[in-house]
Amino acid sequence: MSHQEQRLPHGRILRYELHERLTHWAAAFSYIYLLLTGLAFYSPWCFWLAIALGGGQISRMLHPWAGLIFFCAVIKMYTMWAAQMRTTEADKAWWNAVGHYMRNEDDQMPPAGRYNAGQKLLFWGFFWCSLLLLLTGAILWFPEYIPWSLRFLRYVAVLIHPSAALLTIGLFLIHIYMSVFAERGAFGSVIRGDVSEEFAKRYHPGWYKEIAGDSSAPRK
Amino acid sequence: MSQATLRIQKMSGHAGSVPGEDTQRGLTVCKLIDTTTCIGCKACEVACMEWNDLPFGETVFDNTYQTMPETRWNYWNLILFNEHVREDDGSLMWLMRKNQCMHCAEPGCLAACPADGAIVQYTNGIVDFQQANCIGCGYCITGCPFDIPKMNPKTNRVFKCTLCSDRVTEGLEPACIKSCPTGCLHFGTKEDMLYLGGTRAKQLQEHSNYPKAGVYDPQGVGGTGVIYVLHDASQPELYGGLPANPHVPWTVKLWKGPLKWLGNVAMVGGLIGLFVHYLRFGPKDRDEADTNAGGAKS
Amino acid sequence: MTNGWVDMKNTDMMLIMGGNPAENHPCGFKWPVEAKRTRNAKIISVDPRFTRTSAVADLFCQIRAGTDIAFLGGVIRYAIENNRIAKDYLVNYTNAAFIVKNGFKLPEDGLFSGFDAKTQLYDKSTWNYTGGDASGKAAPEAHVAAPAANGAPPPPATLPEKVSYDFTLQNPDCVFQLLKKHYSRYTPEMVERITGIPKEQFLKAADLFTSIRKDGDMKKVATIIYAVGWTQHTFGTQIIRTAAMLQLLLGNVGRAGGGVNALRGHSNIQGATDMAGIFDNLPGYLKVPTPADTSFEGWMKRITPTPSKPAPWDSFNYWGNTPKFATSYLKALYGDAATKQNGWAFDYLPKVDRNYSWGQLWDDMYNGNVKGMLAFGMNGVAIGPDSKKNIDALKKADWLVVGEIYPDETSEFWRSPGITQDEMKQIQTTVYRLPCAGFAEKDGSFTNSARWLIWKNTALPTPGDCRLDQAIVAQIFLKVRELYKKDGGKFPDAILNLTWNYSVPSNPPLAEVLKEVNGKALADLEDPTTKQQIKAGQQLPGFAWLKDDGTTSCGNWIYSGSFTEAGNQTARRDPSDPSNMGVHPGWGWSWPANRRVLYNRASCDVDGKPWDASRKQVWWNEGSQKWVGNDVPDFKVDSKPKDHMGPFIMNPEGVGRVFAPLGAFAEGPFPEHYEPIESPIENPLHPEQSHNPVVKRFKTPDDKYATPKDGYAVVCTTYRLTELYHYWTKNNPMNVQLVPEPFIEISAEMAQEMGITGGEKIKVSSIRGTYIAKAMVTKRIKAMQIDGKKVYQIGIPIHQGYRGIKEDEDKDARTLVNLLTPTVFDPNAYTPEFKGFLVKVEKA
Repeated sequence: MSHQEQRLPHGRILRYELHERLTHWAAAFSYIYLLLTGLAFYSPWCFWLAIALGGGQISRMLHPWAGLIFFCAVIKMYTMWAAQMRTTEADKAWWNAVGHYMRNEDDQMPPAGRYNAGQKLLFWGFFWCSLLLLLTGAILWFPEYIPWSLRFLRYVAVLIHPSAALLTIGLFLIHIYMSVFAERGAFGSVIRGDVSEEFAKRYHPGWYKEIAGDSSAPRK
Repeated sequence: MSQATLRIQKMSGHAGSVPGEDTQRGLTVCKLIDTTTCIGCKACEVACMEWNDLPFGETVFDNTYQTMPETRWNYWNLILFNEHVREDDGSLMWLMRKNQCMHCAEPGCLAACPADGAIVQYTNGIVDFQQANCIGCGYCITGCPFDIPKMNPKTNRVFKCTLCSDRVTEGLEPACIKSCPTGCLHFGTKEDMLYLGGTRAKQLQEHSNYPKAGVYDPQGVGGTGVIYVLHDASQPELYGGLPANPHVPWTVKLWKGPLKWLGNVAMVGGLIGLFVHYLRFGPKDRDEADTNAGGAKS
Repeated sequence: MTNGWVDMKNTDMMLIMGGNPAENHPCGFKWPVEAKRTRNAKIISVDPRFTRTSAVADLFCQIRAGTDIAFLGGVIRYAIENNRIAKDYLVNYTNAAFIVKNGFKLPEDGLFSGFDAKTQLYDKSTWNYTGGDASGKAAPEAHVAAPAANGAPPPPATLPEKVSYDFTLQNPDCVFQLLKKHYSRYTPEMVERITGIPKEQFLKAADLFTSIRKDGDMKKVATIIYAVGWTQHTFGTQIIRTAAMLQLLLGNVGRAGGGVNALRGHSNIQGATDMAGIFDNLPGYLKVPTPADTSFEGWMKRITPTPSKPAPWDSFNYWGNTPKFATSYLKALYGDAATKQNGWAFDYLPKVDRNYSWGQLWDDMYNGNVKGMLAFGMNGVAIGPDSKKNIDALKKADWLVVGEIYPDETSEFWRSPGITQDEMKQIQTTVYRLPCAGFAEKDGSFTNSARWLIWKNTALPTPGDCRLDQAIVAQIFLKVRELYKKDGGKFPDAILNLTWNYSVPSNPPLAEVLKEVNGKALADLEDPTTKQQIKAGQQLPGFAWLKDDGTTSCGNWIYSGSFTEAGNQTARRDPSDPSNMGVHPGWGWSWPANRRVLYNRASCDVDGKPWDASRKQVWWNEGSQKWVGNDVPDFKVDSKPKDHMGPFIMNPEGVGRVFAPLGAFAEGPFPEHYEPIESPIENPLHPEQSHNPVVKRFKTPDDKYATPKDGYAVVCTTYRLTELYHYWTKNNPMNVQLVPEPFIEISAEMAQEMGITGGEKIKVSSIRGTYIAKAMVTKRIKAMQIDGKKVYQIGIPIHQGYRGIKEDEDKDARTLVNLLTPTVFDPNAYTPEFKGFLVKVEKA
């Protein structure tokens, strides 16, 4: 899609195409299910979640399937976004200035592209954790088929799987916070797909420049 | 199963206190297996199948007298046959060990199990699976250092020896004990069985050619509700891979211990942190939001 | 068993050989284990394989199948050489001091004196004692009648009434010196050459076993335990005799924790034997009449022994009561039709004119002389030997009736593997299969190995049309009787006069049968000493009451006392054991006279004091001048020790037979090692007489015997597994799960040499047939050095066939192991030689 086409009427800019949004929500819903059932398995204090979601047996049965869906979505994201997620020199500067970012002093931040360094961390964090979760999840899916001589695989899996999940939970919390509470407009971007010019200029000035730079005029 | 007599002192995946916790006198039951008088007759295997009314399974010849390579979800009691040549005098030994759940004092299965009440330990020490509560995750398989819990692939529920908790409740010995023709199996309190086993081991040391005879009651799992008299207690591995120093895998311990608390703290801490952050800094686009309520409206 | 299962807990030493009780008698094996646990008793396991029994033994020796006499003979030699014998016991309680007749020859060349090569029989007249006194001087042989003038054969030789003796055991012709000389050839080196047990290992075993008589101490006791691993040889009876001799030598017979103990293969084989499950016995081990016995008196004269002993001694000679047993037996059979005038209906009894043993029976059918068969409680085709011969024989029969609980190999002999559709059409045998009752569906008594009769109750009703065995037999009998009544016949009396006074004639209740077996008074009786009275019609309290005047009836004298006026004694269930000696006098009932250990008088010294005060069985009570004890004394209760009555009251000598005189055994008074009929080597003792000289071979085309020259050089033995029971548990899914497939045990060394891995199919062939199954490669069998030759031994469990759960799934064409085994039998007991025959092994 050309930058031209990304310029929408009423000063809006297309940020996520439909298939990107679908992928995001596939990942999001499966992740939320995984999170809830996973938390149920993780702690007795959350086991009620499994009951609420149809019972322990059902939760245990669907959790790996949801995991597969999630992983497929992550792979799709990888094919869509990996190129844009490469770390650049600007990202390093961004990280150095992350304190400003946290204090909402966005004007003091070095300009970010379509994705800022934090978003890239989220992406890669989820990507690698998903890979780990998939591998260990496969072992935990069928523990009875792991021969006794290879039992260390199970031992590793039971530690890695929740650890990786915890990492994703950390990322997930920040992701939700940023997209729903901190950067208003971000949530809408994965619903409708577009953001306001202000939004683009404020949070992704590099990206905005790219789009605005080579287009004559916004369509009315 | 009568809850009146079988009080639960430990319960898997359970938040809050356990009903029978702190109600016991401290006497636990124990099975003593004297491998030096086991003749591998498999009466215990048959008794287990019969009492527990388990369905038959397919077996194939595998160059051994052993019924099958390992216990199954519907075969909880299996005698392991191992041929061993003694290092000291070159004589042959045919080691037979009745393998089943060891009913650990600190059960790895229970520790690993996430399902509320799927694995319980009664105050008499019996570790029992409550299949109604089992979610089929198989974590118990990973938690067990003895490779005992087995999954029924059709129902996704895990089974193992119950130490005939139903019989024990009624004051009977487990079915395997009842069936043993040579008296190599004994049942009683842990204390009595340790005494009996110790006496037998001493007899073997003094009167038979087994100077290293001893009792197997591994402390790595807090001691077990099934203990063995072995000809050579220094080499339990000879008896079909009985672990010399079994313990709940450290990863399971790490996962169920520090990691869980760390994770809990991190998650709760993270939530609080984000909330505080919001209170302190609010949304990034406060100015615009004030003027342009609703943010990005189309 | 001389002793019993529970009594084994009293032992200090067990030689388990020719048996694998841990495998085949796991419940009884409780007691050897108990002895280990409570007395530090030792187990020596001698077997062709390292077995389940060996697994809990203190010492294991791998022996070549069929060389047990060489091993035991070697132990006898060792005991004598090292003076580990019970001298007092030997002199006073055995015939060791008896002088043997001039002309008796030891078998240095493999033959005792008197062999006739043409008939393959012995003239046993030199196998006798010298009559006379302590001087050893022969008395005139008045007891041997001169040949009759009419040319009839002379009456058989009998034992002298007074036997010449030498209580110092120094006379070179005394039994002990002959024994010593005979087994002097069984050196450890010779034992190694024959058995394959390395000399050091053999010496360890001999030392351990005889260690109970170290320094002549009589306190400790050793037992010998065996099963069909000893009986199933062409010299099986002689192996057991060797064991008995060894036990006499060590003074172990009659003592708690001692004896010679046969483990019976079925719950009731002892009962079958007691009730004459063989052609040459009547119930209670009475010898059958032969055509030469023309009258009751003549029969009695022949089979009733008279005392034969040194003059200063006394002999009870209990078989002297034979006429009482026989008369009462005939009264039980024929009731009022048996009178003194007709010799108690002696003429009704069939006269046995020749061998009707198992192997002969099939041979007769094969040769067309037997036209039909009633097969109950056994699977005749499967149990062999040489199943093919049995199958071929059945093809020639007109009819076959099988009473079974499952379709078995015998009732479906016509579809055994290898028979084609066309061949099947040629088979004209009519087969009737009758559904019978299983063990839980019948009541009745079991007689276990310990001679204990235990009554059991019916647990389940028979399903469908199934009937009890006795109902089927009764209905056949009633029909035959009806036909005789209607049509007459050549000799209807024996059938028409047979007693059949059961409340339900068509289905006799077994309790009534047991009552009949126990016997009752036919007239009022009184014991002259105790004045105890029994009214006519009352049950007898025991065989001491039996009379030869027709006033008692008794179906089996040794079972008399099992069902008295006090009720069914076999149904008693009092577990108490006041002496803690494993006697349990109120549990069931054991023959004879509820006595648990036979010959228990021998548990005391000559003065009547127990050899071991801690294991008191019976003893002489000076006060009451009687033998009393924790067990029922197996003795004349008022015979004073100073009268020196021998403790072995069933022998005319009154003492144990180290030397078995006259016709006791077919092949000689001392057991000699002979090779199995199929053997990998010539007999190292006497190659010119390798096999048992009196063994007969059959002659049909199916009867083939191989030598190593024919390419069969591997020694094969067959056996059973704990997990399966004969041929019928293959119909039970539980048993099938435990052992799903047939297998063949071979040594790791042999497997390596042949490139066989565990689980691979191999083919075992004898000259008679082949058997294919998966190989179990194990360290528990080792290659052996036999007389300088490397010999492999293999073993095959017998249990599979062509009917069963797996067989019916058609997964596997399964054949019978007994296709391999030879039709050749022990000449005394007619037991087939299943252990130790030759095969070759190939990859299948």
